[in-house]
Amino acid sequence: MKVVGSRVPAIDWKQRTSGTFVYAGDLDFNNLLVGRILRSPHAHARIRKLDTNAARAMPGVRAVITFADFAPGTRYLHEGSPDRPPLAEGVVRFVGQEVAAVAAETAEQAQAALRAIVVEYDPLPAALTIDQALKGGAPTLHKRPTDTPNVSAKLKRDWGDPKGGRVASSKVAEGTFWFSQQSHISMEASVTVARWDGDANKMHLWTSTHAPYFVRKEVAHILSIPMSQVVLHEIGIGGGFGSKAKVSEHEAVVAALARAAGETVRIAFTREEEFAFTKTRHGMRTWMRLHADAVGRVRTVDAHILSDNGAYNHSGVSVMMAGLKSLGLSCYQPDGVKAEAWLVDTAKQPGGQFRGYGGTQVAFALESLMDDLAEQFGEDPLRYRIKNAIKDDTTTLSGAEVGTARIVDCLEAVRTAINWDFEKLNRNYGYGVGVATGVHSSGVYNAPDSNRSDGAIDVFNNGMVRVRFGGADPGTGQKTILAQIAAEELSVDLANVSVMMIDTEQTPFDMGAWSSRGTHYGGHAIRKAAKTAAERLRRLAIPIVGAEVVRLDDGFAIAGDKRVAIGDLVRLSNEAIDGVLTTETSYVENSVVQGDPKTGYGNASASYNYAAHAARVFVDVRTGKVTVLDYVAAHDVGTPINPLFVEGQISGGAVMGIGAALGEEMIWHEGKLVTPSYMHYAPPRAADVPRVRSIIVGESDPKGPYGAKAVGECSINPPPAAIANAVYDAIGIRITNLPITPDKIINAIAAKEQRKRHFGLWRRPDRWWIGFVRWLYPRGLFAFLHKRQVKAVTPRLVHHPRSLEAPETISSAIALLNENSAIIAGGSDLQIQRRNNIVEPARLVSIINISALQMIESDESGGVLLGAGVTLARLAEQLQSSHPMLVNAIEQIATPQIRSIATLGGNLIQSKRCWFYQNDFPCFKRQGGLAPCYAITGDHRFYHAAMGGHRCQAVTPSDTATALVAMGAVAIIAGPRGERRVDMSSFYSGPGETVVAKDELLTGVWLPPASAQRKGAYEKLRFSQGDFAIASVALTADIDASGIWKNVHLVIGSIGPTPWQAQKTEARLENTRVTASIVRAELDRELNLVADPLEHNGWKLDAACGLAEIIVDRLAKN
Amino acid sequence: MPTVSMTVNGKLVKADVDPRTLLVQFFRENLRLTGTHVGCDTSQCGACVVHVNGKAVKSCTALALGFDGAEITTIEGLANGTQLHPMQEAFREHHGLQCGFCTPGMIMTAVDIVNRKGNNLEEHTIREELEGNICRCTGYHNIVKAIGAGAKNMGKAGGATQAAE
Repeated sequence: MKVVGSRVPAIDWKQRTSGTFVYAGDLDFNNLLVGRILRSPHAHARIRKLDTNAARAMPGVRAVITFADFAPGTRYLHEGSPDRPPLAEGVVRFVGQEVAAVAAETAEQAQAALRAIVVEYDPLPAALTIDQALKGGAPTLHKRPTDTPNVSAKLKRDWGDPKGGRVASSKVAEGTFWFSQQSHISMEASVTVARWDGDANKMHLWTSTHAPYFVRKEVAHILSIPMSQVVLHEIGIGGGFGSKAKVSEHEAVVAALARAAGETVRIAFTREEEFAFTKTRHGMRTWMRLHADAVGRVRTVDAHILSDNGAYNHSGVSVMMAGLKSLGLSCYQPDGVKAEAWLVDTAKQPGGQFRGYGGTQVAFALESLMDDLAEQFGEDPLRYRIKNAIKDDTTTLSGAEVGTARIVDCLEAVRTAINWDFEKLNRNYGYGVGVATGVHSSGVYNAPDSNRSDGAIDVFNNGMVRVRFGGADPGTGQKTILAQIAAEELSVDLANVSVMMIDTEQTPFDMGAWSSRGTHYGGHAIRKAAKTAAERLRRLAIPIVGAEVVRLDDGFAIAGDKRVAIGDLVRLSNEAIDGVLTTETSYVENSVVQGDPKTGYGNASASYNYAAHAARVFVDVRTGKVTVLDYVAAHDVGTPINPLFVEGQISGGAVMGIGAALGEEMIWHEGKLVTPSYMHYAPPRAADVPRVRSIIVGESDPKGPYGAKAVGECSINPPPAAIANAVYDAIGIRITNLPITPDKIINAIAAKEQRKRHFGLWRRPDRWWIGFVRWLYPRGLFAFLHKRQVKAVTPRLVHHPRSLEAPETISSAIALLNENSAIIAGGSDLQIQRRNNIVEPARLVSIINISALQMIESDESGGVLLGAGVTLARLAEQLQSSHPMLVNAIEQIATPQIRSIATLGGNLIQSKRCWFYQNDFPCFKRQGGLAPCYAITGDHRFYHAAMGGHRCQAVTPSDTATALVAMGAVAIIAGPRGERRVDMSSFYSGPGETVVAKDELLTGVWLPPASAQRKGAYEKLRFSQGDFAIASVALTADIDASGIWKNVHLVIGSIGPTPWQAQKTEARLENTRVTASIVRAELDRELNLVADPLEHNGWKLDAACGLAEIIVDRLAKN
Repeated sequence: MPTVSMTVNGKLVKADVDPRTLLVQFFRENLRLTGTHVGCDTSQCGACVVHVNGKAVKSCTALALGFDGAEITTIEGLANGTQLHPMQEAFREHHGLQCGFCTPGMIMTAVDIVNRKGNNLEEHTIREELEGNICRCTGYHNIVKAIGAGAKNMGKAGGATQAAE
């Protein structure tokens, strides 16, 4: 082998690194219309009236469609009972369901048309969670075939001898595990261009998909036209991870719009739409019990899975099937499995295909319980797994015929790589290691023809080779490995091989990239086609080179000393057409069967791939934050076709799994997504994760092309349990509810230590009214207030500023300020407020040209004057030696590119980050009047006040504010009435709200001389790099040589509406030698006197104390 | 409509723009330079990073009008003719890309890191400096490797500014 098996870089790297790779969002057509979708604002409602007449008559509008534009009863084909219409038919069942769509010449016109569509709803009660849906008397979403309301499907699995296994067992491990919904968030949001060719009756699509076959099939079905009339064209795909493995709803809608308009239309999702309206990983609650016999062998697995379906079926049944199958397949060899899974309807955006496909959720439960069992037997968890591991050539309980199964090799590999034995011997509280395994198929045979893949090879008369393949490469590297295979079989230079995919007119049948089938099916298909083509070339060469035995080498057919270029063979051949010798073959995998849908039994995959991952973590018990220090991932992938890509898939999957373990969580309130942006849903950033060390183990698998097995999905299965197990190893606390966020750690520690705070609210009359209202909220008040506020949800669009002024002096700037203006400097905050419809200024006043706002200078008193227009990056650079605490705070703000444009003034004045407020919940701060605060009944664990909350529970997010209050800084404000100075401690009037009036300008901040000499530090707890503070502490003091603290300033940020100064604590620390335990004790006492947390954010008080402790320890060291 | 003029990839461009036009829109729609991507338009993901007067900036939350007179480099302007930039080469060599959508922003950020931090970058520096760029495919490992190698090669090629002290 020359090319297959080698570390070949991606063949299209040049375009991808130079910005010339074309995605559907980059396409330019004449008269390309903009498509927009009108969505339901209700979780469940009947549509009483839908009137599009006004919208149709609006300027620029070329098409408006509703359900009436489809054939009666049209539903998506997805398995289970087809239940979802392309646009709502009389009823909406989740916030965001498509109701109507518009195509117009411009985005503004489309937006205006959406607003002109009249929809009247009669809201219906809705079950929004699994628990609500299964409660007796719950409102139902659909009529379902099961005997339990709101359960769309039930699956039962009974493999082997579960009863016998139970009887033979002496120990059990049992638990219930929650795996949250996860969003794929490909970096490219969903985007499709559709063009209707009325003359030919053809629909042309350029769409970001990794399963062209299914898009074609489903779009044809939805439009009621033959599949042959839907044509997909090749286009770049910016990631997929399962989200693009079936049709996406916008694809069907944009196709219908294009047909209705008779033109070309593009729908491009915003990031919010991508988060809130595409299908998610199914949230799953898995109850599981493992039974093990006296020697520790796992004998029986019992499980019951509740899968959150969302509002429509989609892949719900098959995801459960795969989840259950992973128990019958498994890395272990029990005697029996008895399991049941229910697909539960909830009025939310539906679940769909997601990398790992049910196996990920189930692996979290299974692998957590394996550790539990190991502990019960007093055994090392890694060795315990080796003891139970499956071996080569096994037929599993579910009928899987496993060829190579090198799970032991994987476990041994991670054991060495992470220094497991050493870590286990050298115990250190807060530090731990964990291991977990995973398994996945290499493409399942789950539908007719999914065991088949065709391939085509074109050899041109100039010696170039083209592969044609009907799948799609969303970034996995399939395109490159197909080129490698063709180059290998035809013995041509890889540079002479091109690959065409997707194009449905020119590529042969393949079902696409899902179920980790790319390597197996694509590999075999192209190998067969290329081998056949090579054979033809050799045969064509025989008369020319005059020998029966011909070999191909480097573009030539050779026999002895005679050789002929393959391009010449094509030229001379009468089999070639127009200078191309085309070979097309079909590969059918005969070793697989479609599993029995009732029992789930059968060998549906040709090979199975295994993995073991090990993580070393640090759990900061002061803040609850878990940091992954080291991560190794060993995969049995057979013989890799391209190790470079295999490692990339391992590392990518592992990090996505780490995200699910530690932070990624989709949160809804009243059925509306609270976390539809990267600001509030945190995929891991580079600094959040360690280097993932990928290890390839295993041996050639006889079934795989060149011995290769799959890798793409398996890598996401072990991480959550590996990390949960490591956390348990570190602090003795087992988290069964993903993600493992700091609140869960802090709460578990407090519960373990039986600590409880008492806030003495009975003797704080100022909190009585608030307490009463909070009590009323879940008892009907919130529901009443919320109902009045729900309004239409339309895609956001940035509205005008009609002008942008850039004055050069402070006075000319002030002259431009009024009620309808907004000040802009770096724009990193204001622009987001504009697009989130929080501010809509008619005039923007840019202050970047005002030189007076750019200074950093000392005055005669020894204080320092900072201009409001100075960027954070420049402040950090220039104040490094004089004001390290402030610099400390600045360096924890946002990201380098933002710090280089964001200014001090902008940071201080920035808007609150409450995820209800930012994400368009009709809350009190947006709507005023009687609008509710959504944080009281919604998820308020992280970004809301634990003290001082009134009508609004948001906090002031500015990090510099917290530091500047501690420094005793003074804000300088200029306005038409002259200049005024305000202590930073009085600068904020509310959460993210300041005393600066609409016609005033914050010109700078003065730092008092004393602030320069003091020692101090700033610490911040955040989810991910670049995130806003969950809690922050600025602590500064004069510390003399004997260690006595004087002039202590302790300010806590993000815990109350404004930065909170711990004055009692400051006074008690004055003139003492402060230690970490003293600061915690004092702060605890004071917090109990003033705090009044919401139901689930009291933990932030503990975290704030923890941050103060960390600072004291750090100052003591210096 | 007001007029804005700037130098983009060495070419002086002048256009009448709506005041709310974002810098990234200006590149993608007015100039048809579509290599600069929009991944979130809330300045979180970094797919839209370009260089403004030599510094990395997120172009999705910046108004084009605010950049009158600026000198701008987008991903399309990084290569020297057909000779790709050493950082682009390094992303190939180390497979620092999968779907490629974040890649232009990653590379522009990477070059900026080298400009600010020099040619010898430690892994943790690269990771910290990459906090404004999200990748969903690679798990970052190969990107970090590519940037480390690319930084060194930029030094050899004389493409980098002075190493940081």
